[in-house]
Amino acid sequence: MTTDIGFWVLQTLNALQLSMLLFLLSVGLTVIFGLMHFVNLAHGSLYAFGAYIAATLAGTLGYWGGFLLAPLAVAALGAVLYFTLIRSQRRAGPMAQVLITFGLIFVAVDATRLVWGDLPIGIAVPELFEGQLALLGVEYPIYRLFIIALGLAVLGVLTLILTRTQIGAMIRAGVDNDQMAACLGINVERMFFLVFVVGCALAGLAGAVAAPVLSVTPDMGLQILIPTLIVIVIGGLGSLKGAVAGSLIFGFVQTFGAVILPTLSPVLIYALLAAVLVTRPQGLLPAKG
Amino acid sequence: MFTHSPLRLTTLAILAAGSLAYAFVAGFYGMEILAEIAILAILVIALDLVAGFGGMVSLCHGALLGVGAYAFTVAANDAGLTALPAMLLAVALTSALSFLIGAVCARSTGIYFIMATLAFGQMAYSFVFQSPLFGGDDGLSGAPRPDLSAVGIDLTDSRAFAVYAILLVAFAYAVAAATLRSGLGRSLVGLHHNEKRLRALGLTVWRAKATAFAISGALAGLAGCLAAQHTQFISPGLLSWTVSGEALVVVILGGLGTLVGPLLGAILFVVLKHEISAITPYWHAIVGVILIAVVMSRAKGVFGFIEARWEARKAQPLVKEAKADA
Repeated sequence: MTTDIGFWVLQTLNALQLSMLLFLLSVGLTVIFGLMHFVNLAHGSLYAFGAYIAATLAGTLGYWGGFLLAPLAVAALGAVLYFTLIRSQRRAGPMAQVLITFGLIFVAVDATRLVWGDLPIGIAVPELFEGQLALLGVEYPIYRLFIIALGLAVLGVLTLILTRTQIGAMIRAGVDNDQMAACLGINVERMFFLVFVVGCALAGLAGAVAAPVLSVTPDMGLQILIPTLIVIVIGGLGSLKGAVAGSLIFGFVQTFGAVILPTLSPVLIYALLAAVLVTRPQGLLPAKG
Repeated sequence: MFTHSPLRLTTLAILAAGSLAYAFVAGFYGMEILAEIAILAILVIALDLVAGFGGMVSLCHGALLGVGAYAFTVAANDAGLTALPAMLLAVALTSALSFLIGAVCARSTGIYFIMATLAFGQMAYSFVFQSPLFGGDDGLSGAPRPDLSAVGIDLTDSRAFAVYAILLVAFAYAVAAATLRSGLGRSLVGLHHNEKRLRALGLTVWRAKATAFAISGALAGLAGCLAAQHTQFISPGLLSWTVSGEALVVVILGGLGTLVGPLLGAILFVVLKHEISAITPYWHAIVGVILIAVVMSRAKGVFGFIEARWEARKAQPLVKEAKADA
């Protein structure tokens, strides 16, 4: 089985698809942490909220209506959270932040159960991306290729913004030393807000694209949270490169671990995380030196 | 440093007398609740020891409880040990595992410590979840209760079991308090305040942290044994990180770093859980709102609030004098 080239192509595509989904989630979380030193455990809940919005709107506006509006709705929710909870807790230390956002998870899970019920919701793949594509001898669903392409596109746009624009330079300065950045006349508060909202929107986008391939359930946010945290801790908190590296490592270790070492695979990624934390406590590609 | 103020001693005495008295008047349901409170109480005492006094916020204590429960059940069912040696073995194993985790995580602080403990907890969870030896996601049943018929006590009776559980809580509290009053406990509090200074004073930091973590883990393992004996059925859900998160919530609601507060927190949490879930299936949301409110109010939990009030009342004359001087 393992000598078949198609098998490797298929698993590589599966790994890439998982990596890109995780990248969409982890990039927001990691930049929020790098810039604001804020630990947002409720990031997964924002993703679940995005998936529910997309699933609900798919019935009336079609898939693309949900795809466009879900990130906006989640960004709006993020803005509300920012002004009610996040801003006042920024200097409160990791313990208070972990607890408050843990409380938010409780509230979010029950709120989704209350509004949408306990049963999983499924939505159809958009017509444009129905069917399979023959690629290097394997048939692969076009929609999953679209997820990979979308992840790469977001990565490209974010790289351009962070490295080539003024706002990107300001964000990098803020991650490096926020007090110095503020002294240089950058409105750090406004930048925090912007980054937080964009991070939330990306989580919503991830939820919207994941909705047709995974079933939409109240605990989907909780399920994705641990992988996302592993990604950003392996990659190094606060860095875009780290989020990319962490997502790829997680996606490939998880996918290939499951087919090559099925008995060890669930433990593999945690062992890797522990090894990274012991040898390089700041992650593989940390934002600061 | 940890001390027993008159307020703390009074609270402890009331809790002990109240729970024992309740154990003798409660019906079957009340006694089940008591046992549930006792399990959670031991777990949060263990967590408060490292998180409240040592600043080591652990998200693997749920997993340690699960390891204790599984070790106990496997030792009793498959290795043929009777309940008491099986308990000792389970507690020793959990403690050794905690020492390793503590030693490995000792270098990291803050959010990295939280993440590292989360990683080890999830590792244990995934391992148990897929391992055929531990019954996978079906769980294991048939954990025995200790046989105390030699002294005329039948622990299959739920009243006797509730009293036994309360006594174990008292034992766990005594261990934690003794640890905190020992040299190790003082070093632990010192590490929380200023790690560099203690390093300069010649303390082997990782060993102190790992030893404290091992003691805390032993207590978590004890809670696991009690949990296995209570329901006589265990599943991988015990090791899930949300159990650790809930334990942390209970410590915060009760009063971090007071050791007495988490006991109050455990009682409040279990009672609230049963009361609210009787009214609405959405009790987690209500707990979440209470948690957010408590953390945002910056009160040190229920007991921290009571203590602050108590201190403020006592300190009032001094404040007036100071004003008069100025």
